Amino acid sequence: MSLSYVSLLDLAVVVVMVTAALTLWRQSLAAAVKALAVQGVGLAAVAVILGAHRHDLVLVGVGGLVLVIKAVAAPWLIGRVVAHDHAAREASPLINVPASLVGAGVLTLLAFAATRDVVALVGTPAGRLIPFGVAIVLIGFFSMVVRRRAVSQIVGLLTIDNGIALTAFLGTSGVPLVVELGVTLDVLLAVVVLQVLVAQLQRHFNVHDLDQLRDLHD
Amino acid sequence: MTILFVAFLACAGASALAGALMPRQGRVLASAVLLIGASTFALVLAGRVVSTGSDFTWSRSTLLPLGGLAIRLSPLGALFVILSGLVAAASSLYWIGYAHHSLNARSAATAFCLFVLGLLAVPMAGNVTTFLFAWELMALSSLALVAHDHARRRDAIAAARWYAVMTQGGAVAITFSLAGLAAHAHSTSFVRIATGATSLTSGAASTFFLLALVGFASKSGAVPLHVWLPRAHAEAPGPVSALMSGAMVNLGIYGIILVGRVLLHGGEQWWWLVVSAVGGVTAIVGALYAATSKDVKRLLAYSTSDNMGLVMMALGASGLTLATGHPAVAALALVTALVLVVNHSLFKSTLFFAAGSVHAATHSRNMDELGGLARVMPVTALTFLAGTLAVSAIPPLNGFTGEWLLFQSLLHALGAHGVAATITVTLAVAAVALTGGLTIIAFVKAYGITFLGRGRSASALEAHEAGPTMRVAASLTALACLVTGVAPYAVIGVVNRALDNGPNSPVAGWVTLRLTPLTGALTPLYLSAALAGAVILVVAWRALVTRASGYARVATLEPWGSGRHNQTARMQYTATSFGEPIMRVFDDVLRPDHDVDVSHVVESRYYLEHISYRSANEDIVERALYRPLARSLDWWARHTRAIANGSVHRYLAYGLVALVIILVVVQ
Repeated sequence: MSLSYVSLLDLAVVVVMVTAALTLWRQSLAAAVKALAVQGVGLAAVAVILGAHRHDLVLVGVGGLVLVIKAVAAPWLIGRVVAHDHAAREASPLINVPASLVGAGVLTLLAFAATRDVVALVGTPAGRLIPFGVAIVLIGFFSMVVRRRAVSQIVGLLTIDNGIALTAFLGTSGVPLVVELGVTLDVLLAVVVLQVLVAQLQRHFNVHDLDQLRDLHD
Repeated sequence: MTILFVAFLACAGASALAGALMPRQGRVLASAVLLIGASTFALVLAGRVVSTGSDFTWSRSTLLPLGGLAIRLSPLGALFVILSGLVAAASSLYWIGYAHHSLNARSAATAFCLFVLGLLAVPMAGNVTTFLFAWELMALSSLALVAHDHARRRDAIAAARWYAVMTQGGAVAITFSLAGLAAHAHSTSFVRIATGATSLTSGAASTFFLLALVGFASKSGAVPLHVWLPRAHAEAPGPVSALMSGAMVNLGIYGIILVGRVLLHGGEQWWWLVVSAVGGVTAIVGALYAATSKDVKRLLAYSTSDNMGLVMMALGASGLTLATGHPAVAALALVTALVLVVNHSLFKSTLFFAAGSVHAATHSRNMDELGGLARVMPVTALTFLAGTLAVSAIPPLNGFTGEWLLFQSLLHALGAHGVAATITVTLAVAAVALTGGLTIIAFVKAYGITFLGRGRSASALEAHEAGPTMRVAASLTALACLVTGVAPYAVIGVVNRALDNGPNSPVAGWVTLRLTPLTGALTPLYLSAALAGAVILVVAWRALVTRASGYARVATLEPWGSGRHNQTARMQYTATSFGEPIMRVFDDVLRPDHDVDVSHVVESRYYLEHISYRSANEDIVERALYRPLARSLDWWARHTRAIANGSVHRYLAYGLVALVIILVVVQ
């Protein structure tokens, strides 16, 4: 029982981690959005596994919520923007793909180095995985810095949020439902706003790259 | 007493509500009547505090954070409440008529009421929090009033910007000073601070005093922090200018007395040397720019700076002599400072009322476009004349007694010990003399160019007399100048009580003012009578001589025309030409920009086609100190913009780098 719980948890966290790396690796926006959806599934799985292990029905419920919003709703909303834009590719990121993967690796190492004390403090099999949560936050941030496309920015933002949620799940004995509900709905709202914004940008200015917006300066 | 205070608060609050909620019809009337009510209640309350000599206290600890709302009206504060109340009541009356021209919008009416509330509340404050709250209420509402016409006049925006920077900078200094004192005393109450301040180290006390001085002196228009004053006072609408110049600048003086004398018990000698020096420079710079200004409200504003300089000289002399062990001179100088404040409030509000009426009637403040207004605006002209005589210290108006007391204080202070003190006081006497002369030039110009001669523009020729409430308000303050000029003890007596001088008042006497224990006496009543007699004699003598010498036929010619016919308005002196000699004498100080543009007729260089003359007289402090400061700030701002160039990616990268640094450091 204990062994399979730990393995399952490891698996789910690895899914989240790998998909975060995938968003950096794949230049196709459609692929990045798919990776994001899978990441949402992984995150939901983490919540459900933890909930089942601790016999915490609320946490399982939170897992369901995460599944609906982060694995289905948010990717679907972003996917609509991408669908309008054929050949949507992150053609020339500020840092090329191999270099950004190396950067992600460095950030992961940093996350492990920085969270040693926290891991020791928590001391549970789940707590062992906290560095991954921090690493995912950093990778999400990093992808926002190096990616030009507006859609990539949204994907990066959601990755950061997923990383924060993962850290919260792993580090504490579950976030109160109200808090999780608030945060998740906030994220959904942010995605809706950004989706509308990006769609309008594309329609009115034919702009996909955020830096082009600087031309609007007076 | 509590009933009076509550009634005052209720009236002031109701006036602001009326300003905010009433429809345009009747809005100003309702607000102004309620404000006059509030001022009256405050006046009665303050009058009772002065007459009984005991503080009025009232507090609600839940109304404000950090110590709560605490009112402690001391006799000294009550004197300032009386002044603010008088000026506020007159300004509210004036406002009723002025509102036909402007200042009738919802926001302006509300801000006006809050401004009056702030002016009355500052001297009532009993702790640091209440003081700062009232101070900011006063500063922010007056800022809104200065900027209220921003849509039509660009100058109003510039004035508001200068005012905002200076007043908020000053407020920061005051906050640091009072917060430091409160922290030392472990209490925000002024009474506790005063008892706690005895254990302050000399360095800390000096720091707190200098910080407070910066803040309060900037409010009083002291050089070099005065640059906002001529702009804001000139741009503000008539009744607001009167409130700012007649009541608000006083509170800077109140602040200096509060921190320097009440909270820090007089402090050290060099503080007051600084105050005297600043006052002297302020008086001269103010008088100089008043003498060369051609904008009538700007002239009055510089004159305000000048008068506050005189007050600061008297304050400085008082502190100086107190620190060197001459309490009798110190008491006299402090009375002098407050008498000067009272006189200034009365005559400067009169002058600003009259100038506001002129501006409302002609839409111009430039004296080069005015002239001949005495014929069409007789009452306004007469009130302005009264203010002019008062500010020039000519009996029987109130400025004279103040000037005499100032000379007495400074001459008696010459006995103070120490080389620095002696030099400062000697220079101060010279500065007062120079200032007096320059002030007379400035106000001969202000009255002569604006009201005498012929109109220089269509708007001056078509002007009409101001509305009845505006005339009544100006006449009331002018009358107050006359009454307190003939019977100065009406003011001095109140000041004596406010300072709790007891039976040994440094100056007293209804008919003859006598200095005790120092020597000196003055009888303003006889002097006024003698002056009036002299005037009557001259007039009678002239009539007699004319009749006796048989000049029956009197030729009627143009006034100011040297007996010539066909005088035109352009042949008269203008404000610019009248100030020209001063400009030349003080050329090295003022450094005005002259620009003469001459174009000759093509055929002959002996004939001119066209000649134009422009002169700009920008404030030297502004040019020498603030322009470079603004330029360097601008340079700094432009160069720091490089790190914030608008790139989202760059901002995100800053965030990421900060996060990584935090992770590395905290781990």
